[in-house]
Amino acid sequence: MLRRSAGILCGLVVLVLMAPRLVLAFEMRWEAQGSYVHQMAHVAFAIAMVFLILEIRGNELRGWPGFTSLFWACLLLVWWNLDAVVGHALDWSLLYPVILGQGLDRRLLMDDWHIWAFYVTQITHFLLPAVAFYFFYRSLKRFNREAETRLP
Amino acid sequence: MIALPFYPLWLLEYLGGLAVIVFTILAWRQSQQLMAKDPENALWLFLNWLSMAFVIFAFSHLISHFIQDLIRFRGASRTLDMLRRLLGGVDSIVYVAIATITLFFRSMRRLYQRMEEDHHHMEETSHEILALNREMEALVMERTMSEMALGIAHGIRNPLHIIGGFSHRLLKKTNQDDPTRDWLTAIAQEAKRIEDMVERFETLAQRKSSFFAQEDLNDIVQDTLALIKPEVRAKHIFLIVELHPEPLMGRLNTHLLKVALAHLMRNAIEASNPRGTILVQTRQETHFAVLMIQDTGRGMTPDVVDKVFVPFYTTKIGGTGLGMVFVRQIVDEHRGVITLESKVGRGTTVTIRLPLRFVESPGVTEPEPPVPGALPESGRGRQE
Repeated sequence: MLRRSAGILCGLVVLVLMAPRLVLAFEMRWEAQGSYVHQMAHVAFAIAMVFLILEIRGNELRGWPGFTSLFWACLLLVWWNLDAVVGHALDWSLLYPVILGQGLDRRLLMDDWHIWAFYVTQITHFLLPAVAFYFFYRSLKRFNREAETRLP
Repeated sequence: MIALPFYPLWLLEYLGGLAVIVFTILAWRQSQQLMAKDPENALWLFLNWLSMAFVIFAFSHLISHFIQDLIRFRGASRTLDMLRRLLGGVDSIVYVAIATITLFFRSMRRLYQRMEEDHHHMEETSHEILALNREMEALVMERTMSEMALGIAHGIRNPLHIIGGFSHRLLKKTNQDDPTRDWLTAIAQEAKRIEDMVERFETLAQRKSSFFAQEDLNDIVQDTLALIKPEVRAKHIFLIVELHPEPLMGRLNTHLLKVALAHLMRNAIEASNPRGTILVQTRQETHFAVLMIQDTGRGMTPDVVDKVFVPFYTTKIGGTGLGMVFVRQIVDEHRGVITLESKVGRGTTVTIRLPLRFVESPGVTEPEPPVPGALPESGRGRQE
């Protein structure tokens, strides 16, 4: 694993060093190509999780303790990805939000539904993955415990 | 108008981000342990790859958000902007990687299930072959012993006839008061006793019928077809059955012939297209009961036909290549002959000729064994 991690890290370093000075593909604006790629990647992630859910349900694996947690982790990740698509769309199309205060005391003026929706999706964007990955960890722990007695 | 603070979002962002890092690392460690327990388990392999992708996601996602916050607080710089874009790209790649791993697992699981099904099928077939093999061995042993017994009886009877015949002739030529007359009488009596014993022994050997019994081939065909009909119907195949109007009695092993016929029928069903036709026919030739199975399936090339009875030759995935070998052995044990004709795209015809030498109907005499070379495609068969 150390070798693999080192390889991934080296790859990232090479990517940083060889990156072009202007990477327009990842411009944080709706019209940029990168934003569409990122949104599509979220959709692909969500679709994959839906497939995994169907696999768990279709093969009647949900009865297994490990698969129950994995099922919930996938469901939350589907929600998170769809939420992220909406959140990014709101974030990138937010024009001139009114920010009051300085430093940590900054506040966002909630003057229309767009700002409200942005604020709510920001909360869910940070909250959902923590719960989802807790379920994922729990599923693997259960699998580990179950692996001693029976194998799926 | 309400103004909501940013700091709960930041707090949630970093606490949530750290929690995700911790949970993904813990999950990855669990997956490593699972891999150590069973490295060949497809599910553990998938979870290991998935958890590894999640660890990369956890770091790249948190760092990406951190850089975005840094830009918002301290203003954009060329390096920060480049890093933000780069990590945004890494995020996208990781999402696609997660999707790929998951979808690949789905396909892999399908293959795994297919492999397991094939494995179970192979195991079942192997058990069936083993049972069949034992039955064939017992049958061959009994037949050999029976033939040996008949041979020995035949070998003993000839000298006995000579001993008995000469002792009687000597008795006739000997005077009544000759002292050797008693000895000759004793020899003749004992020879007769042995002759009677041999006769009883021969009768017993001929009647031994634990494996073969007087059976009607038509009944065996009908019973087997009753078992196979659901498979025929499931594939929408037309089954035509033409049975000889009179019983085709012979010394047959019902179980083995059913196994052979079922195997041939399944081959025909598998080779036939939906709405194809399978003809099953029984008839009587001079000395043989004939069973013919003809299908209108895809047929076989001459190369395949040549290798059909070669053990372990198969073109089926998960096939053993022993089915047709056993069919031929079963026919051989009945002292019969199996022949096969096949044309690609036209279909296959399998013909089994079983001798009627034990037949009880009048007018049937001991047959000469069929000459394989005289029959079309003799000694060839279809593949399992």
